Parts: sequence; structure tokens; C-alpha cells
Amino acid sequence: MSNKHIIGVFDDDQKLLTAVKNLTQHKANIKDVYGPSTSHELIKAFTRESLLPFLAVLVAIGTIIGAFGFLYYTSVIDYPLRYGGKPLFSFPPMVVILFFLTILVVGGVSVIAFLGRTQLFPGKQPVMIDPRASDDRFYLVMDQNFNPEEIKLWIIEAGALEIVEKEIDTQTGWGF
Amino acid sequence: MISTSLDQTLVKGHKNYGQITDELLANTEGRPPLWWLVGIGLGGLMLAFGGWAMYTSVTVGLGTWGLTNSVAWGWDIINFVWWIGIGHAGTAFTIFFLVFRQKWAASINRSAEAMTVFAVMCAGLFPLIHMGRPWLAFFIMPYPNTRLLWVNYNSPLFWDVLAISTYLIMSITLWYIGMVPDLATIRDRTKNKLRKTIYGIFSLGWDGSLYTYNRYETLMKLLGGLAAPLVISVHTIVALDFAVSVLPGWHATILPPYFFAGAIFSGFAMVLTLMILMRKVFNISDYVTLKHFDNIAHVLKYGSLVIGLAYAIELFLAWYSGVEYEIYTFFNARASGSFSTAFWIMVVCNAIVPQVFWFKKARKSLLSLFIVSVLINVGMWYERFVILVSSLAEDFLPSSWTSYQPTIVDIGIYVGTFGLFIVGMLLFVRFIPVIAINEVKPISRIGKENKKTEKHVE
Repeated sequence: MSNKHIIGVFDDDQKLLTAVKNLTQHKANIKDVYGPSTSHELIKAFTRESLLPFLAVLVAIGTIIGAFGFLYYTSVIDYPLRYGGKPLFSFPPMVVILFFLTILVVGGVSVIAFLGRTQLFPGKQPVMIDPRASDDRFYLVMDQNFNPEEIKLWIIEAGALEIVEKEIDTQTGWGF
Repeated sequence: MISTSLDQTLVKGHKNYGQITDELLANTEGRPPLWWLVGIGLGGLMLAFGGWAMYTSVTVGLGTWGLTNSVAWGWDIINFVWWIGIGHAGTAFTIFFLVFRQKWAASINRSAEAMTVFAVMCAGLFPLIHMGRPWLAFFIMPYPNTRLLWVNYNSPLFWDVLAISTYLIMSITLWYIGMVPDLATIRDRTKNKLRKTIYGIFSLGWDGSLYTYNRYETLMKLLGGLAAPLVISVHTIVALDFAVSVLPGWHATILPPYFFAGAIFSGFAMVLTLMILMRKVFNISDYVTLKHFDNIAHVLKYGSLVIGLAYAIELFLAWYSGVEYEIYTFFNARASGSFSTAFWIMVVCNAIVPQVFWFKKARKSLLSLFIVSVLINVGMWYERFVILVSSLAEDFLPSSWTSYQPTIVDIGIYVGTFGLFIVGMLLFVRFIPVIAINEVKPISRIGKENKKTEKHVE
């Protein structure tokens, strides 16, 4: 299979959005879009909802159960110290601790999960399609599973600046 | 449908994305300006003074502070509460932006979060030093130890430890994750090899893929949602440090909401002060407009009303309770006694002066905005001073009454935290875009669509 891709270059994310909508309507496969910023509409246009919130809920439940067990173990079982005539275990102060611990752990796990899933890490060599993808250009990358001429037409119609064809190398990426 | 003639533009002028990148990265490029070097020098000197004061506190002992048997919490805790309060605005702006979708907050978000990070760092120093032996700070964490003891989970001081550390970690995370795409922009622009390497490491190999953006957007919303309850709860916990005690003036259920309102109030004032200064020295007046300041001024105006109401309710409840100690603390010690100067500075600066923002002229003038924002933070410092010292210095037993004077070491630590804050903010404005470029780009078009189509028709 050829690694050749049709790339539409845009300078406006509204035009890009039109192109993406056109292409998805015609069931053409969009490989990816690279750009300096994004909008909610563009993300909704062809990506699936991230599953991160589900993970966050699971981790939150786990943290609450785990932390509750830890607090109960330390204050009732391991060292039952009674001070001020208060009960060994009281729930209200635990709520505060569970609340902060849950936020801390869920936040941390979410960031780690995000970095793992997107394969970002400190010192990673970026596979930039073009240095301007982080400045003022959007790159719409198409898989060649469709009539290339038609794809080009739709991209041009939406208002692309130019269309380039490029091969991606699995080793060096886009050649930058 | 209702149509309004309101000016909806969030970024002035017709700029393309390239221009926005150029303008917002200008502060990180070229040689550092003279004022920056002078600022770093000044901040460094203040930090050195603070370093000496902290060294003295640790080696000689806390006897070098102005604390007495009665006033066991002095400038250290006053400044801790003050800095934590200032720190609240950054996260508040993040919530405006990420949770309430207030798009105008995009251009203030980054600086406000930077302010939060450094303010919370300054705040965290005080309880640490107050321990006397800061190298044993880990004792407050529940861990299996040779003393076979666990910490007291019912103590608000332990909640404080958890709250402050969670808050610091979460705000650093939000701040850093939010700037990753911008760091990638610098990485791809710079020709300098060292800069490219350093920004390359911190930008995590960001390539601007939409799939990454999709997950990134979800992550940011999630972190924003997690940080939202933190804003309310952290200062609530700080308030509980006081409210669960039995001292008159501290032992009040109004303290948590009152502290929270004060935190948002002082934080917004500090954001205003800093943004006015940044707008003065950087070319960002198209991004941070008078309308942003107008919005903040409105928040301050209503915040001031809430604070004023809280002061009035405290006085009312003291009278209504009929408890002579409460009445003494509020009416004699605070409003008319030894602490009346501080009390009235607090009332004037917090509850009265910000009311000038009812007038449009005051909201439009940078000078009045600046003066009021500084006065608010002075007033907020005095508020913490009044709450802490008046209740401790003149409590139940007149025989143990005392006065409180800070020493040079107290002042040194406070000045040192200012140094830390100044140096931190200056490093931030030098190496990181002060406005979130990737967030400002999509909103730069808002309010200009109509004009654009008109042009197109012509």
C-alpha cells in the first residue's frame, strides 16, 4: 500500500471545517488534521469522544474506596486512639480528606493516561508535518482510499490554499 | 430573537494567525529588556533578604519572630492566608474559561494561573517555616513510622496540608498542560539550538494532531472541573483552621464563605494589578482590552459588597449572640480599641473604595483601576491581621493580654516571598507566552464575522 497522502493546506479553520464536513459527508477517510489551534466543532466533526471521563470516574470510585479503607484501618484498627472523648471513627472529617485525595489522584491519573494514550513524553521528537502547523497553517491529511481527484476537488472547493502530495516515512515522519 | 448592538469582539483588529503568533511571542524573543533585568535584580535582593530571615528562623529559632505566648500566630499565618487568597483568582479564571465557557477569560487565563502557582508557593512557605524544623515536615503525612502513630484526621491543620498540596499540584498541572501547544510553537519557530532543545523537552513532542487535541480538550475540561471545587474548598479549609477554635472572632460559621469571598476578591484585584502592568510593558493591548478590565472591575464591585456584608453580619452576630467576649472582640478591640486603625483601613479599602466601580469613568481609567486594585490587597492584608491578631492578643483573660509587633525576621520572610513572586512572574513573562496563544487564536474571529462577509460581498 502506498504511503502517499493528499494534504490540503488551509489558513482558516472555518474553511477547514467546511472541507472536513464535505469529506465526511462523502465518507472519505480523513487521516488527521494538524494545526496550531482547534475548535470544538472541528473536533466533533470526525473524532470519537474520548473515554478519559469514564476512566476518571472509575479512578475516583477506586480512590474513595481505597482511601476510606486506609483511614478506617489507621484510626480504628491499627492505632485506636481516643482523644477528646470523640468516637474512633467519624465520617464528616473523612469527607474532606476523601474529597481532596480524589481530586489529587484523579487529576494525576488523567494526566498520565492522556500522556500514555497520545504517546507524548518529555524529550519526544515531534513528527511535525510542517513547522507552520504550530503557527498559522492547518493541514488536512487524507488517506487514499477514494478517488483522489474528487478529494482534491472538495478540498479546493472549501477554500484550501494549496494541495500537496507527500509520503510519510514510518521512521522519519514527514521529513522535518 | 433579541439582537443587540454590543461589541462582541474579544481581540481587537483583523489579525491572521501568523500575526497573533508574532505578537504574543514577542516577549520571549530577543534580548531581555533593561526593566526586566532590574526587576530580576530587585526580586533577587528581596529573595536574599527572605533567605536570611528564613535561615535565622531555622538556626536561631522562632523566638526571633514577634510571637508571644498569647499571639502564637502572627505575620506568618497572616501572610499565608493572604497569599493563598491571592492564589485563588487563577483557578477562578480557569473555571470561567473551561467550565462556564467565558471566552473572554482566554487572554487572562495563563497569567492568572501563573500568579496562582507562585502565590501558592509563597503561601506554602509560611506553614513550613512555622513548623520550626521544616526538614521534619514529612511528619504531618500519614506514613508507617517507628512511633507507630498516625496523624489526627479530625484536625483542620491536616486538612490544610492536604488542601494546599493538592491545590499546588493541580494548579501547576493545569498551567503546564495548558501551555504545551504554545511551547511547541516556540520550539518550531526558534533557530537557537539550546532553546529548541529545552522547549522541545517541555513541549512533549506535541504535533498538533486533531486526535491529540480531542483528548487534550477532554483532559483540560476534566482538570478544570476537578479544580473548580478546589477553589471553594481550599479557602474554606483555611477558614476552618480558625473557625473550629473557640476564640471570639474566630469561632463563627460565617468564616468559610467569608474567607472564600475574600480570596476571590483579593485574587481578582491582584490579577488586575498584574495585567495592567503587563499591558503597559508588553504589546498586548489588543488582547487584554479595557473590556477585560471592565469585567474584572464588575467582579470586584460585587465582591466588595459581599465582603462589606460579611463585616456587617459579623458585627451583628457578635451583638446578637449576647456573649460578652464576642461583643468585646468586635466592638471594643476591633472597631474602637487597639486594632481600630487596622479595622478601619480594612473596611475602607475593601468595602468602600471598590464601590467607585459603579462609575463607568473609574472602570475605564487604568490609573483608578490600578490604585483600587492595590488598595484592595492592602485592605485584604489588614483583614487577616485584624482577624488573627485581635482575637489572640485580647482574648478571655485580660491578664494575658499583650500587644504584637513583628520583628525584622518576620518582615524579612514576607519581603522574601514578594521576591519569590516577582522573580517567578518575571521568569514567566520572559520564557512563556503571557497569553495562551492556542486558546486566543480561535476566539480572535468572534464578533467579526459580519464585517468579514460584508467585505466579501463587495
